[in-house]
Amino acid sequence: MDALELACVSKRYGGRSALSEVSLQLEEGAALGLLGPNGAGKTTALRLLLGFARPSSGGVSLRGQDPRDARARVGVGYLPERLVLPERTRVDDFLRFHGSLAGIGGADREQAVHDALKLTDLASRARDRLGTLSKGLRQRVGFAQALMGRPALLLLDEPTSGLDPLGVRDAREWILRAREQGTTILVSSHVLSEVERTCDRVAILHEGSLLADGRLDEVLRDGESLEDAFVRLVRGEAAAS
Amino acid sequence: MSGFLVLSIEAVRDAARRRIVAVVIVLSFLSLLGIDGCTSCAGQVTVNGQTQEMGELAGITGTLTFGILGFWCILLAGVLAAEHLAQTLIDGSANLTLARPVGRSAFALARLAGALSIALIMTAVLLGATAGLLFVRGSLSLGPPAVAAGVVVLGSVTIGALSMAASLYLPRVACMLLSVFALASTGLANLVGLFGETKGVLGGIDAAGPPILGALALALDPWIPQVEVPGDPVMAWIRLGVWAVGSVALLALAFRRLELGR
Repeated sequence: MDALELACVSKRYGGRSALSEVSLQLEEGAALGLLGPNGAGKTTALRLLLGFARPSSGGVSLRGQDPRDARARVGVGYLPERLVLPERTRVDDFLRFHGSLAGIGGADREQAVHDALKLTDLASRARDRLGTLSKGLRQRVGFAQALMGRPALLLLDEPTSGLDPLGVRDAREWILRAREQGTTILVSSHVLSEVERTCDRVAILHEGSLLADGRLDEVLRDGESLEDAFVRLVRGEAAAS
Repeated sequence: MSGFLVLSIEAVRDAARRRIVAVVIVLSFLSLLGIDGCTSCAGQVTVNGQTQEMGELAGITGTLTFGILGFWCILLAGVLAAEHLAQTLIDGSANLTLARPVGRSAFALARLAGALSIALIMTAVLLGATAGLLFVRGSLSLGPPAVAAGVVVLGSVTIGALSMAASLYLPRVACMLLSVFALASTGLANLVGLFGETKGVLGGIDAAGPPILGALALALDPWIPQVEVPGDPVMAWIRLGVWAVGSVALLALAFRRLELGR
């Protein structure tokens, strides 16, 4: 069974098409980089996968279930592009709250909080209020809640946004470690070099249409970087249209 | 701990942190001072040429005071509910929570519980203090206000849920004004209905709307033996209950159908 699937999905907002007949499957344990310029439909695809919106046509599933059903989101870790954290809540209390919602109870939750704090180097800031943290530290908290309890599926929307070079490097390590543990990963990003380092598959969206989808070696031509391929596909599509 | 309970505790904490709560506390404190002044009044009133001690009119003044406060508490629930769910959608914090295995209905109802918890604590303080002062200073029994408080709770659930449902589509100020309008029109329709047959729009509201004022008057009837309040208390309670349940169901349904974070 695929970890997630978009089957000929279209999404329209009034007269504007955000996604047009996009089909995408991701098998368990794979890591997919979802690429595209601004407004390509990446965030819309994530919103559909999380059940935040309904497709205008086509089907969406998480492990064979409708993502609007809460049970389909068991074991899903999500880091949104625009991370909003409750200012007065303490870091560890915030993680406990998300651990509880994820269904992690009692001693397991405390262990999961401890592990997430340690992994993201936030152990010394555990009792700090979220409102006092820098943008980079807040993004680390976002990663910590997404990675808590070793999720089976990780959906990351612009995960390195707000991170300094050291933070970007750490984020890459967290993603690679999650991959090693068998987590299925979907990363929506503008940072092509990071996607190239962390994912084995890429899908390129442009103006709501899927231009390419496959393993890196299938999408790249001889000697071509991911950036070259991205520009070729996006500009080529723009020229054709 | 169930997901709903976790969400409700967080929603109560979040509600307590909102700036509007400080305003509400100040207004409630001023209301308490006003109630203290009203219930300590010991003057004489001339009614139809007959001079009466204020104590003899305690039932009427108590009913009016309690009724006004009851409406204020219900309005408070509507005002607090108008932003408690909508704010999480505006700032995007709802998305992080709803990416977890959390049902939409559970999230919306937990937010309603959060807003209502603050409103109902204020209700308990205001109505409790009023009933206590009227008992001590006016010798009015405590049974009628206990029943009336139940009416206020059901009215708060109804107006709070409707206000929260409206906030999914309308700006906060519009929802607050809508709460005021809904409560005022219902109160007016009930009031006119108490004194005679209502017709037209007011008649429709009185016949089919939540009988908040009517049920309050029926609950406080033992305080005012001079006046016989028409109506069946059981039917009023049933209608209030149906409105409360229906409003909550409407909120849950509206939130389930909503698309998030566009």
